[in-house]
Amino acid sequence: MHLQAQEGLMSTFRTGWRSRSAVAYGLSLLLFAFYISMYFGGQYGLPDLWQPLAEAVGLRSKWFVYGLVYTVWMLIGAAWYLRQHGNSRYNQARIGVNVAVQVVLGFTLPFVMPLFGGTEYYFSYFWPLKYDYLYPHTMWSLPWYLALYGVVMAVFTAPLAAVFFGKRWYCSWVCGCGGLANTFGDPWRHLTSSSTASWRFEKYAIHAVLGLAVVSTGVIAMHQMGMGEGTLLVPIAQQTKIWYGFVVGSILSGVIGTAVYPVLGPRIWCRNFCPMAALLGMSQKLGRFRIRVKKDMCISCGNCTTYCEMGIDVRAYAQRNQSFTRSSCVGCGMCAHVCPRGVLRLENGAWEQAEDKQLQGLSIIDY
Amino acid sequence: MRIVVVGNGVAGMEAALAVRRRDADATITVVSEESDHFFSRTALMYVLCGQLSHRCIEPLERGVYERLRLTRVRARATGLDPEARLLTLADGRTLAYDRLLIACGSRPRPAPWPGSGLRGVGHFVTLQDLAWLEAELHGQQSEPRPPNEWAHLSVSAADSPYGRREVAAETRGRTCGSPLVIGGGLIGIEAVETFLAAGRSPHFVIREDRFWPNPISAAESAWVAEALRGHGALVHLDTHVESMVGDGRGNVDRVVTDKGPLDVDCVVVAIGVVPNTEWLGEAVERDQSGGIVVGDDLQTSAPGVYAAGDCASVRWFDGQRRPEQLWYTGRDQGRVAAQALLGDDVRYRRSTWYNSAKLMDIEYTTAGLVGLDLPGESEWFYEETGAVKSTTRIVSRDGAVIGFNFLGRRWDHEVLIRWINERRSLAWVLDHLGAARFDTELVPPLVIPAAAR
Ligand SMILES: Cc1cc2nc3c(=O)[nH]c(=O)nc-3n(C[C@H](O)[C@H](O)[C@H](O)COP(=O)(O)OP(=O)(O)OC[C@H]3O[C@@H](n4cnc5c(N)ncnc54)[C@H](O)[C@@H]3O)c2cc1C
Ligand code: SF4
Ligand code: SF4
Repeated sequence: MHLQAQEGLMSTFRTGWRSRSAVAYGLSLLLFAFYISMYFGGQYGLPDLWQPLAEAVGLRSKWFVYGLVYTVWMLIGAAWYLRQHGNSRYNQARIGVNVAVQVVLGFTLPFVMPLFGGTEYYFSYFWPLKYDYLYPHTMWSLPWYLALYGVVMAVFTAPLAAVFFGKRWYCSWVCGCGGLANTFGDPWRHLTSSSTASWRFEKYAIHAVLGLAVVSTGVIAMHQMGMGEGTLLVPIAQQTKIWYGFVVGSILSGVIGTAVYPVLGPRIWCRNFCPMAALLGMSQKLGRFRIRVKKDMCISCGNCTTYCEMGIDVRAYAQRNQSFTRSSCVGCGMCAHVCPRGVLRLENGAWEQAEDKQLQGLSIIDY
Repeated sequence: MRIVVVGNGVAGMEAALAVRRRDADATITVVSEESDHFFSRTALMYVLCGQLSHRCIEPLERGVYERLRLTRVRARATGLDPEARLLTLADGRTLAYDRLLIACGSRPRPAPWPGSGLRGVGHFVTLQDLAWLEAELHGQQSEPRPPNEWAHLSVSAADSPYGRREVAAETRGRTCGSPLVIGGGLIGIEAVETFLAAGRSPHFVIREDRFWPNPISAAESAWVAEALRGHGALVHLDTHVESMVGDGRGNVDRVVTDKGPLDVDCVVVAIGVVPNTEWLGEAVERDQSGGIVVGDDLQTSAPGVYAAGDCASVRWFDGQRRPEQLWYTGRDQGRVAAQALLGDDVRYRRSTWYNSAKLMDIEYTTAGLVGLDLPGESEWFYEETGAVKSTTRIVSRDGAVIGFNFLGRRWDHEVLIRWINERRSLAWVLDHLGAARFDTELVPPLVIPAAAR
């Protein structure tokens, strides 16, 4: 066994459905259709396909049909992933935990708990990704310990864990969005753009969404706590809730985030729009996680950059002997796994060698 | 100052970038026959199998030439007049320079056997070799193609290694089914690996009685050969090619060896590379291998003319001069050459030898002096089985460790080299081996049982 190195060669760019052929665009269209019918069926004059189906098979709501489909996609994708990249302990552990979290916390518990008189609660999602978990109305409707759990995780535990282990603890081990990207989306990870332009867009977009998440939560909280009655705050808060949910919650994270997998790669949402990723990315940047580069061993082959699902030009650092921490890095480990010269290593040790953090703002432009 | 660089491989480009970083005003012209863009030659195999695209193996963003004002000339250089400081191109144009860097790399060592000129016989070194092999193996080239792929053909010469090769698969009307690779080195094994990935069972003809005999030991070789055979390669050791025979239409059909004939329809000759320097004639001094003789400042016998990368015969750690055909040494020499071009008093110093590779799925790291059979040396060897299979070989001499060979695990050569320089003992190194680990996370560490020490 060769635990750690990519086993065998991949034929990625010679496989039509993985390289932006008509089939790939067709698949993307199918996903668009699925998401639009799921999110907007029954509204805007669209037929409601999923709610009747859900009730017919004994599920409470169409969201459990979605959860079921999502979990099955993840399981199929996990099988694909382990066949492609499974000869790595890190990959095995990461995907195993991520799938288990989805099956238990992302699907089974929220479905089963209400059957025993409990609350439908998603233990693996936190504010600002699950933005309504800090809305006062939501918190009041929850048992106090769940409301407290949501607050503590969002403002304390999640960012702190990212300081010590990098954002990967969440984005690559726990989160369902990341989990889908890394399993069902894995065949298209090489399609993520690694151009400087895409990096620039990412930096603006993701921090803008984080700003929006904070402001909208604040406004909505004030309104729900009864402030500003009779003032403009009320309509603003109401509209903010509707529009943030529509644009960020439905369109960006749902429809676009997933439907573009076959043409733009699996992490469009995580990389450009997820406010949780922005928050954890800042923690990561300050923290211990980094990718260490072995000196003068890189052959500039480009496997790392190509297979980085976040579009990080890993090679630009590796060929300059520059260890680095990029806030977008989800610590999937793929760059280290596919590197044919063993140049890269994920580590939680950046504080020990602090001088490495100096040049992290490297721009490929000044190469 | 007018600086001309021949070659946009790693040595030439690294030098051009380093010159521009220091000197905003110099005119820098990069002459290159093979391609418009700098690409990673080490990654050709990944394009052949489809793991990467052409675009992926370009280490720099394409705009770099314009942004840094590096003028590109896509043509073959055919002559040098060091007196007049003029470089001649294949179409008769000349380029005047104040300082010239020759970084024209290697070309494949030609096949010496009768029949080597048959259609379906080629090499695996240049972009054009890749285009040929893609057509033989997959029936078509991968998309997207490199820009202006064949633009140089009108400004080339008959002895160029960057020409277009005829494809046997086209005249036969089917892609190759039974390929053969000659030469048990790294390029040979890469070709074999891509054939295996494409579902073929290639013949692998090796002159020596085992794979890669100098760098790795018999036991290590046996493991690699086992991996090759396990994946379907037909490994022929201690086998000498005698000739190649055609099918009557000019396509290769059979390779005759001293052990008997083999039916084939595509042959990759990977018996090494030689400096790509014939075009220089007598303009600069070259050694027997064809390498351009340079001093420690990388200057050639002609004033103002420097050489770096695969084409330069530099001084090795053992004091001898020969070309170093490695990516990282080419990059290093490019950096030093840039300083020399700018007039600094610099020395190129080769540090302790190290390298890494991936032999099929087995990772390989080496550092220091291994496989040289030095008088008085002793070897310590340990084979790990279990969740991880690995081999560890440590060479000592006069009570100090002088070299390491590892298969199956990742190691940090910087730490290993430090230990060699600190003249650590074998016992000390075995106690501290964990500090040189570079395995990916969660891989169980190497544990050496007391009995094996
Ligand atoms: C398949 C393969 C795998 C390899 N793998 C590894 C590896 O894993 N690790 C490693 O360390 N090394 C490896 N090498 C060796 C490594 O690629 C070379 O050492 C390195 O590329 C040399 O760089 P260079 O800049 O000296 O020359 P080159 O990359 O050969 O570039 C020379 C350039 O000069 C130009 N040129 C040449 N002659 C002329 C002329 N007359 N006129 C105009 N232009 C000209 C050509 O356009 C060419 O682009 C590999 C080589 C091959 C072929
Ligand atoms: S840099 Fe490496 S670990 Fe980080 S996201 Fe990219 S491939 Fe994954
Ligand atoms: S770090 Fe590894 S994968 Fe990335 S370019 Fe260098 S050798 Fe290739």
